Parts: sequence; structure tokens; C-alpha cells
Amino acid sequence: MSLAARFRCPACGADASVAVTPELLRQAAERGAARVAARCPRGHAVLLTIDQYGYIRSTLPVQEAAQPDCEITDKAPPAARQRLQAILSKGPATDADVLLLEKAKAAGWVICL
Amino acid sequence: MERIKYVLDNWGLRKIVPHLLRSVGGFSALRLFSIWEDYYLHVLITSMLQCMECERPPTSFAKMALELARRRRVLDGCRLKAVQPPKRPYPQLLESYFHMLEDVLISRACDLAAKPLEDVIPDEEAAALYQLFVSSDWYSAVRTAIHAGVGTPIRGRALLIGAGTQEPLDYVKACQVLNARCDFAALEVDEKIYRDLERLAAKYGFTAYLGWDSVRETFDVAVATNVLNWATDPSDVFAKARRVAKELLVTQGVVEGMSILFLLTVALRAQRPVSWREVEGLAKQAGWRLEERYAKYPVYIALFR
Repeated sequence: MSLAARFRCPACGADASVAVTPELLRQAAERGAARVAARCPRGHAVLLTIDQYGYIRSTLPVQEAAQPDCEITDKAPPAARQRLQAILSKGPATDADVLLLEKAKAAGWVICL
Repeated sequence: MERIKYVLDNWGLRKIVPHLLRSVGGFSALRLFSIWEDYYLHVLITSMLQCMECERPPTSFAKMALELARRRRVLDGCRLKAVQPPKRPYPQLLESYFHMLEDVLISRACDLAAKPLEDVIPDEEAAALYQLFVSSDWYSAVRTAIHAGVGTPIRGRALLIGAGTQEPLDYVKACQVLNARCDFAALEVDEKIYRDLERLAAKYGFTAYLGWDSVRETFDVAVATNVLNWATDPSDVFAKARRVAKELLVTQGVVEGMSILFLLTVALRAQRPVSWREVEGLAKQAGWRLEERYAKYPVYIALFR
């Protein structure tokens, strides 16, 4: 049996829900938190963090990197993804962004051709 | 009672960061922040204890995490206390901080309990995470607000000790907030970080120094922001700052209010925690006189002469 947890899409504000499966709760209990991807009714991809009680702790919008010659790898932690995606799609906005992109490349979070 | 003591001990914050305090929701929001941190600490310890024995923590990080949990009363001996997720959400500004806790600590809890830190978070990744951490909106806002609140830029030429790459950028923002002339130099002891700092120095027109021996001028004020927990010898920082500056502004996360944040900095290679009494003792030892103390914990903020 699965429960449903409701969330608000961080991109458009639409109400949506995601199934909280026993497998997800087990993962959250083991690791402290579990991540699941979902789509809101308007099609925005959202990354959800769920704790062992089935409580949604965070919602992050997921975007495709627009810069064709660089991509974010699986090594990049979710906390960095949103910012890296913005940097890759719009270009670094600040000097801190430039430094982050350099360090992200060195850490293997971003690969550029 | 504890809450009243906390407000009294940190009353000076109202003087220097009233806008920041208001924007996060005042002292009650800081309290909520601390409740959320304890909840995350509880989640971390719960996960770590599934991979190690409480009586024999296998790594220094695990030992430190258990000690912190006991200090925060999340752990009683080896018995985990029941901690429920807070009903109120944490302030929006701090979202990225809690995401980092999840990514760096909670999702790697088992590995952190059992393996050396360098094997869990390689140096390159630690450097990237550190850059992500220090340049996050909330951290940058805190540093800028403190400099603007204390009025560091209007005190004259400043030396940013252990500046890293973000401190100069935040200092420039504080100058803009105060509409003050931005006259400063930045000192770094890590050669890799210095190379990045040098580029920023060329762009923003400040002086960058590598190591204390290269500093060949004096300053009106020296600024030490969260450097003591990264320093191998914190007393050295006070003694050397005394030689080159008339005033010293210290902003330092201290052991008295130590939270899961400290574990995050340890994961990113911080050396050890310090207490606010230790900070004042070391400053006194180096010949500094306490001019004004703005906050005691969890972040100690004071100006010395």
C-alpha cells in the first residue's frame, strides 16, 4: 500500500502529489532521506526529498542544461544542481559562480567537451 | 529560562544585523533554525548508528558526531532520544543549507561512520562543496550584514585574514551597502586558494597576500571570520594580527552553540571547534583588549583593540 504526499511545484506553484511507497520509506530510514523525481500537472520536473516519516522536506525544480557542450554528471549533489544548471544555461552571473563552475569541473560534477 | 539567556547573550546582534534578523524572522526564527538542526542531527546519528557501534566509534568524525549529539541532548549516553520533525518549516533563506546537510552528511552517514573522511569526500569534491557553501545566499548575506552592521569598511584599511575567495566579495558588497570606500587586502595561507584570490584581486583592485610573511604593511582593522576552526594554531592568528592591525573583528562559530553545521565544516576539512572563552583568552594573551562583544554563541562576534 502506498500513501500520497502532496507538494507544490516550485516552478509554477501547481498542487501535485507523489506516491510514498514502503520502499521509499525504507530508503529514507536507512539513509536519513530519500529522493524521488516527480512531475507536476503542468509537466515541470521536480526533485523531492522525503524523510522516513513520509514528510516532504524539500522540493527542487529540475531543468535541462541548455549549454550543449557541458553537462552535469551524477556525481553532482542535488544541492548544487539547481545552481549549476542556472550557470550552464545562463552563464555565470557572479565571480562566485565562476569559481563554483571551476571547482565543479575539478570534482567531476560537470563535464564539458 | 534558556531562551531568555540566549537572547541576552546575543543582544548585540540587534545592533549590528537588525535587517538580517528581521528578514529571517527574529530570534524565534533562530530558535526554529536550531530545532531543525537538532532534527537533522538526530537523522544523521540514527543513520550512523546503523553502521557502527555507539560504544566504539570507528572514525574521528563518528566520535565527534556522537559527542555533538550528546551535547545537543539528541543522544543520552548511547540512547537516542525521540525527536519529531518540527511542525513549522525552516526560513526559506536557509533552504540551501539544509539541502547541503542532506547531501554532504545524511546521505553519506554510513560511510562517514566507517571510513576516513578523505575516502568519503575527496579533496576536489570538498573544495567544490566548500565553494557552494560559502557562496550560498544565506552565508553571504550573514557575512555582508555583519560587516555592514559593525561598519568595518568605514574603520579604514582592512586585512581579511584567511579570506578564501568569498570573503572579499562579501566585503565589497558591504562597502556598497555602506556607500564606503573599499580599501582592503586579503591574506590566504593555502596556495591553491591564493591562486583564485589573486585573480579576484586583479579584478577588484585589492592586494592579495600569500602567508603572513608576505604582509608588509599595517592596517586599521584586521578581520577574522570563521578562521580559527580552520587554523592549526589559533593563537598564531591573534599574535600575527596584533603585529599588523590596530583593531580586530572576530566572527567565529563556537563550541557553546555548536550544531550540525560544525560537522559540515569538518567534512569540508575544518580543524577543530573553539569556545568563545577560548577566543577571548587567546585574544587577551596576544595583547588585544575587548572593545565590544556583539554575540557569544552560536556565532561569537566581537571587536578588539
